[in-house]
Amino acid sequence: MADLRTNLAGITSPNPFWLASAPPTNSGYQVQRAFEAGWGGAVWKTLGDPILNVSSRYAAVHFNGQRVAGFNNIELITDRPLEVNLKEIYETKKKFPNHAVVASLMVEPNQEAWHEIVKKTEAAGVDGLELNFGCPHGMAERGMGSASGQVPELVEKQTYWAKEAADTPVIVKLTPNITDITATAEAAVRGGADAVSMINTINSLAGVDIDTWLPVPHVGGKGAHGGYCGPAVKPIALNMVSECARNNRINVPISGMGGVSNWQNAIEFMLMGASNVQICTAAMHHGFRIVEDLIDGLSTYLDERGILSVQDIIGKSVPTFSDWGNLDLNYKVVARINNEVCINCNKCHIACEDTSHQCIDMLNDPNGHAILQVREEDCVGCNLCSIVCPVDGAIDMVELKSDLPPMTWNERQSLIGSLKDRKVTK
Amino acid sequence: MREHQQYLIEREKIDYFIGRGYRINGITENLSGAFIEFNLKDVKTDEISNETLHIQTANGRKYFSALLLKQIQSVT
Repeated sequence: MADLRTNLAGITSPNPFWLASAPPTNSGYQVQRAFEAGWGGAVWKTLGDPILNVSSRYAAVHFNGQRVAGFNNIELITDRPLEVNLKEIYETKKKFPNHAVVASLMVEPNQEAWHEIVKKTEAAGVDGLELNFGCPHGMAERGMGSASGQVPELVEKQTYWAKEAADTPVIVKLTPNITDITATAEAAVRGGADAVSMINTINSLAGVDIDTWLPVPHVGGKGAHGGYCGPAVKPIALNMVSECARNNRINVPISGMGGVSNWQNAIEFMLMGASNVQICTAAMHHGFRIVEDLIDGLSTYLDERGILSVQDIIGKSVPTFSDWGNLDLNYKVVARINNEVCINCNKCHIACEDTSHQCIDMLNDPNGHAILQVREEDCVGCNLCSIVCPVDGAIDMVELKSDLPPMTWNERQSLIGSLKDRKVTK
Repeated sequence: MREHQQYLIEREKIDYFIGRGYRINGITENLSGAFIEFNLKDVKTDEISNETLHIQTANGRKYFSALLLKQIQSVT
């Protein structure tokens, strides 16, 4: 069986599956149960001045029969005194010395406040610290969480303050509620971060009840924006991890999270540069025992490929991820419809005709049966027909050899620009 | 007209000039598409004749880009 042990900036864990800082890691009881179930690490629910929560905190977006496609919360950081959490952290670490116990921290942007909480928390025996610069609601209104995390100077300065006092690795957790997450990731690195983690939740309003006209969730008739997570945010999170992984100024390990729901998702994040993954929504939806599937799936994947250690896949897909301007304009794929598999629902024709490039014809074969056929010369290879097709194998996207040489947009513009120097005038 | 048909026509026009020894001397791209400026130098008189082609299809713009690459590579 492949070695699943991971190392994030010196924090080791028996496998790459950590519970993210959130309700599942609120107490020692929960974290210890999670470790017994097989989780490799846990980031304790954010420590700070104990807060007051409201009742009615979560909402989910269900889509087309899938429960919890997205998840929204307006819960804040811990509402328990620091000493209570630290006692449970100490007990947990003592009981599970080989598991990673990381404490998430959030205090006001003040040097003494950071020094105090870092020292007290480390005294409880944590393996590392995660600075919460991402929580988008409630705490942000008080100048903490994402309010700090959206300002690179504040990220840098607070990271520096935490590092001044820290003996264990400092992970900086970033908010996605920013145009370019690499700006704050770079700031964290400048501040001395040992690792970055992403993404925290995305500003969201889960819905509006069209009968009562109240926001969902509402607290006695009023709502406020929350943080969105779950499967729906995975592509956003994966992109942000990838952008940081390919940025050579962000030369620290990445802990990836945001919609990781199964072992396949975990592999995607790790291939794109994450040294491990953190999970919350999937555990809240299905319970701690999902880790059994995560471990089993990852192990089998690695074993089937003869990969000895999960660390060997970290970042392997990063070189394939670039800017649009570096993509080959002359690479071409076209759709091919397998009429033996096609059920003739015409969804591909409708999608192509109404919203794409009008290249799927409705014809009859020699026996008079209705068939669908792609005019390959007009097909731009957008993939839409294969995306909307309800039958696996009915539409293949096939690569066509181009009679033009590979050329990216950047290369093309450079070529055209070079003409100006060579221009012949009368 | 299907865009592919339009592209074939544009490609034929581009090939017409290239086939007669014209070289791509300038490309102007704007909201209307691309304008290729061809020129041909008369070896006897040194007279330069210019022709301009308006290219509207995306594939046409890819095609002349490939020819431009070939032209520049043949010089360097």
